[in-house]
Amino acid sequence: MTITDDRHSTRLVLDVHDLHKTVAVGFRRRKVEILNGVDLEVRDGDVFGLLGPNGAGKTTTLKVVLGLMRPTSGSVTLGVSGLAELGYLPENPYFYDYLTGSEFLRFCARLFSLGARERDERVRAILVDVGLERAASVQLRKYSKGMLQRIGIAQALINEPRFVLLDEPMTGLDPIGRVEVKEIIQRLHERGTTVLFNSHILADVAALCTRIAIMRAGRVVWQGPVDEAVSSPQGDLEGFFMDVVRS
Amino acid sequence: MKRVVAVAVNTFRETIRDRILGVIILFALALIVASLWLASISLGQGDRMIKDFGLVAVSFFGLIVAAFVAASLVRKEVEKRTVFIIFSKPVSRSEFIWGKFLGLAATMFTVLAGMTVFLFLLAWVVAKSPSGSLLLAGLLIYLQLLVVMALTILFSTMTSAVLASVWGICLYVAGELSHNVLSLSHAGHSGLAHVASAVVFYVVPNLSAVDIRAPIVGEGAVAWGSLAAWCGYLLAYLVVVLFLTTWIFRRKEF
Repeated sequence: MTITDDRHSTRLVLDVHDLHKTVAVGFRRRKVEILNGVDLEVRDGDVFGLLGPNGAGKTTTLKVVLGLMRPTSGSVTLGVSGLAELGYLPENPYFYDYLTGSEFLRFCARLFSLGARERDERVRAILVDVGLERAASVQLRKYSKGMLQRIGIAQALINEPRFVLLDEPMTGLDPIGRVEVKEIIQRLHERGTTVLFNSHILADVAALCTRIAIMRAGRVVWQGPVDEAVSSPQGDLEGFFMDVVRS
Repeated sequence: MKRVVAVAVNTFRETIRDRILGVIILFALALIVASLWLASISLGQGDRMIKDFGLVAVSFFGLIVAAFVAASLVRKEVEKRTVFIIFSKPVSRSEFIWGKFLGLAATMFTVLAGMTVFLFLLAWVVAKSPSGSLLLAGLLIYLQLLVVMALTILFSTMTSAVLASVWGICLYVAGELSHNVLSLSHAGHSGLAHVASAVVFYVVPNLSAVDIRAPIVGEGAVAWGSLAAWCGYLLAYLVVVLFLTTWIFRRKEF
């Protein structure tokens, strides 16, 4: 499964400029800079991979984009009309144990103020889309890890967003689960939805992404088309990634 | 408003299905039934014993639900990161807090209504005459517990769930006693004690002002005008606490 970038769009759905985030940690409130001038551009229609070692600032960048954290300085410009056109899957998502899959999705749809009929239609369609129609009336505490990941993706897509942010969507999944999530991302790309996701699984990134950015120590140290990284002198994305991160 | 209702309905569903709540209600009903035994050994005071002991059971178990469920209500969402899902949608922090509170208020109403109606029926069967004042007492206990819930949610945005529960229970006790403490300090000669008890009286919600257990069991009469005023005061108090909670919660980062 390989996605090719044949759109060459230049319209930006996300423009992050010189983003800094400092937090105070410990008893003595020591200041630690976790984002150190992040510059990031995601174009309309991209499947964008955000790579980097643990602690590089990938999740923090996503949180700032979503408004879950406030930047110390810098700017985030969204090319979509706010959270109404965004979808987000957090890393290792947890949901409400005692709700069923369809109740949870209906709840998420209500947060977008969708009408009852539209809500029902979207929930039914999205459950089919993520392959959970048979588990719709099962409480979420009985879902497997893979099913939870899929219901997480379903809630991120319930508003038919133009821009989807997925934080480690393949982490902890078995090979079948990984393939299913990859298929969902591919379908989103075919529909023209812009996808940004974090991952440590470089093979998935190489297969799915049109563009990537590599972060290290709170800043983006390289970004560009994935083909450029794959066809680098290092021979593959893994070699290229290691070279960039270690340099 | 739609989003507040959505969060409230979701909270109600989640809390009412929690098995812990079922266990608490079973204990409460068992304790209310135990008042029959107390009634049987109290000489000529059976009716009074059922009402008094029953209302104490309703208050006690209501307080447990209010303090422990309210403390984990927002805290759990933050710790388990469901807030990431909520706040990545067009939901404001104040809509979230109000929705959470209203959802738990609906759960609390269901729980207290069940316990109070059970007590009402028990008293009716034993005393052979219905006592509508029991239902009013249940409603006033509900108002007290709404204030405790609001305070506990406020504390849970600043500290751990356990500490928030403990503080919520302490404030309930302080709220039941603050009026007495103020009266006692008037009787004494210490200016400092008088000022301290006055501060406590004005800061801590005066929950004892809407406690009508004594009139129900025949000790004095209900002062309706004063009761209505104190109900208004408690409602205003809880609104202020919720606004304070949303103000603090708005500043939080996740």
